[in-house]
Amino acid sequence: MKISEWLKTYPANALTAAGECSLEDAARMLLDDPEGRDLFVLDAEGRVCGHLGFWHVATLLLAELRPTHSLRQLIERITIGSVADHMDDQVMCVGIDEDIEDLLYQHDLFQQHVERRVEDIPVVDEQHRLLGVIRLSDLLRDAINNAANKAEHTD
Amino acid sequence: MEILLIGLLMISGLTLGMLGSYLFHVPRVVGYILAGIMFAPDFLGGALGVETTEWTRPIVAVTLGVIAYLIGGAATISQLRQLGWTIASATLGKVTGSFVAVLIGFSLLDVAVADVPAWTLALLLAAIATTTAPAAIVAIIHQYRARGPLTTALLGMVALDDVLALVIFSLVLAAIDSSSFTTAIPAIIWEIFAAIGFGVAGGYVIERSARYLPEQELKLAVLLGGIILLTGLAEAWDFSPLLAAMALGFSVRLFAGSHSEPLFRPLEQLQEVVFILFFTLAGLHFSLTVVLSHAGLIVLYFLLRAGGQVVGAMLGARLAGAPRVISHNVGLVMLPQGGVAIGMALMLTSVPHLEDSALLIVNIVTATTLLTETFGAVATHFGLARAGELGQAAEASEKKEIT
Repeated sequence: MKISEWLKTYPANALTAAGECSLEDAARMLLDDPEGRDLFVLDAEGRVCGHLGFWHVATLLLAELRPTHSLRQLIERITIGSVADHMDDQVMCVGIDEDIEDLLYQHDLFQQHVERRVEDIPVVDEQHRLLGVIRLSDLLRDAINNAANKAEHTD
Repeated sequence: MEILLIGLLMISGLTLGMLGSYLFHVPRVVGYILAGIMFAPDFLGGALGVETTEWTRPIVAVTLGVIAYLIGGAATISQLRQLGWTIASATLGKVTGSFVAVLIGFSLLDVAVADVPAWTLALLLAAIATTTAPAAIVAIIHQYRARGPLTTALLGMVALDDVLALVIFSLVLAAIDSSSFTTAIPAIIWEIFAAIGFGVAGGYVIERSARYLPEQELKLAVLLGGIILLTGLAEAWDFSPLLAAMALGFSVRLFAGSHSEPLFRPLEQLQEVVFILFFTLAGLHFSLTVVLSHAGLIVLYFLLRAGGQVVGAMLGARLAGAPRVISHNVGLVMLPQGGVAIGMALMLTSVPHLEDSALLIVNIVTATTLLTETFGAVATHFGLARAGELGQAAEASEKKEIT
C-alpha cells in the first residue's frame, strides 16, 4: 500500500508547534489530544525540523519527582527553555510516494520507536513540509488484522 | 584472582550499601567502603591471593574518564548562559574558598610525607577538596521536597563545581610532575592544549560516527572505545586524561546539538557502577594504621574544606548580589564529598613518586567522605530548613489545588 493511501485509510492528526513555543504550551497541546504522543516542530517555511515526545516533555516538567539526576538532568531541571532547546533534530521522515511495506523494513522503524519513543512517523513532501503522520497504533492494528485475515484464509 | 575480587567487591558493596541504607538509614557509600575494607590485602584479599592493588590502576583511569566525559557534557553553552551570574559566582567562590583554605592550612602545618614535600600534599588535597557529591544533595532535596531560590542555585552549583574541580586537579597534577617552575609552565600548557585539542577532535569524530549507528548498544561501544583510546593516548603522550575526557564530553554535546541524549544516557546508566567501584577500591586501600596515625589531619582537612567553602560561596554569592537566603546557606548545603574525590585520590596511586602520599590521601579522602556523607547530609538539611525551602514543592501543589 502507498503511504498516500495509508493516510486516507488511517487519518491521524499531526500535532505541530514552533521552536520558540514553551514546554508548558507543548504539554497542553499534547494533553488536549488524547491520542497525541508526538509533537513535530516546524520552521518558518512549515518544514519539519524537530520532534518532541510526550515522555520527554513529561520528564522535563516533572523533573523534581526524580530521586536521582545525572549532571545533565540537573542543569536541564533549572534551565527549562523552549521546545527548540529540547527537541530531537534528527527526525526520520517518509515520502508520500513510498510503499508502507518498504518503509517498515528500510528505515529501522521499530528501532526508532523503541529507542526514541516515537509513535508517529511524519510524512513529508519534497520540500519537507508535513502532510500527515503514520501512527504506531495503526501499524499494530493493521498487522493484527492482516494476521487474522491470513489465519481465516488458511482455515 | 583480580576478576573474582572485582565481582566480590561489586556484589558485596551493593549488598552492604543497600542493607545499611534500609536498616540503619546511612548513605550507601558507607556500605560500599566497608565492603572494600573487608577485601583489603590485609584481610580477605590476602586470603584470595591479592597482595597489591596495582591492578586497579587501569580500571580507575578508564572509569574516571567516563565520569569526566559526563561532567564535560553536563551543560551546553546556552544553558551556562541561562544559569546566571549568581550560580557562576557562588560556584567560583565555593571552589576557590575550599582550595585556598586547604592549601594554606596544610602548607602552614608543613606536613611532609616521605616521598613528597609539604606543598605538594597541600596542593593535591586542596584540589580534591573542591569537589562535591551531587547524588547526596539531590537525594535530600527530593526527600524533603525542597523548592526555592537556594535549591535552584544548589542544583546548578553541584553540577558545575566538579567541572572546575577536574580542571584544577589536572593542572595541579601537571605542575607537581615538573621539577621546577620553568619546566612547569610548558608542561601545563601542553597538558591543557593537547588535552583540549584531542578531546574536541575525538568529540567530532564520535558524534559523526554515531550518526551511522542506529542501535544504542553500538553507540555505547563507540563512546567507551573513544574514552579508553583517549585515556591511553593521554598516558602515552603526557597530556591530561581528565581534561581530554571533559573536552570530549563537552564537544560531543556541542556537535550533537539537541540530539545529544543518546550519546550520554548509556554512560549515565553506568555511573552508579563506576561509583561502587571507586568506593570499594578506596576501601581496598583503607588502612586503619594510617587513619589512626593521621586522625588530626583528617579532622583538619574536613574543617578547612567546610570552612573554606562556606566563606568562599558566601563571598561569591554576595559579589553577584544574591539574596541573603542564598549567600548565608549555599556553602553549608554543599558539604557532601563523594565519588569524584575518591576517584581523584585513587588516580594518584598510579602517579610515579607519589606512592606513600597517595595512600595517605586516599585514606584522608575516604575517611572524610564517610564524615561528609553523614554530617554533610545533616548540614544540607539544616541549610535548606533555615532557608525555609523544605516542603515547598508539596505546599506549592496544595496551593494550586485550593486555587
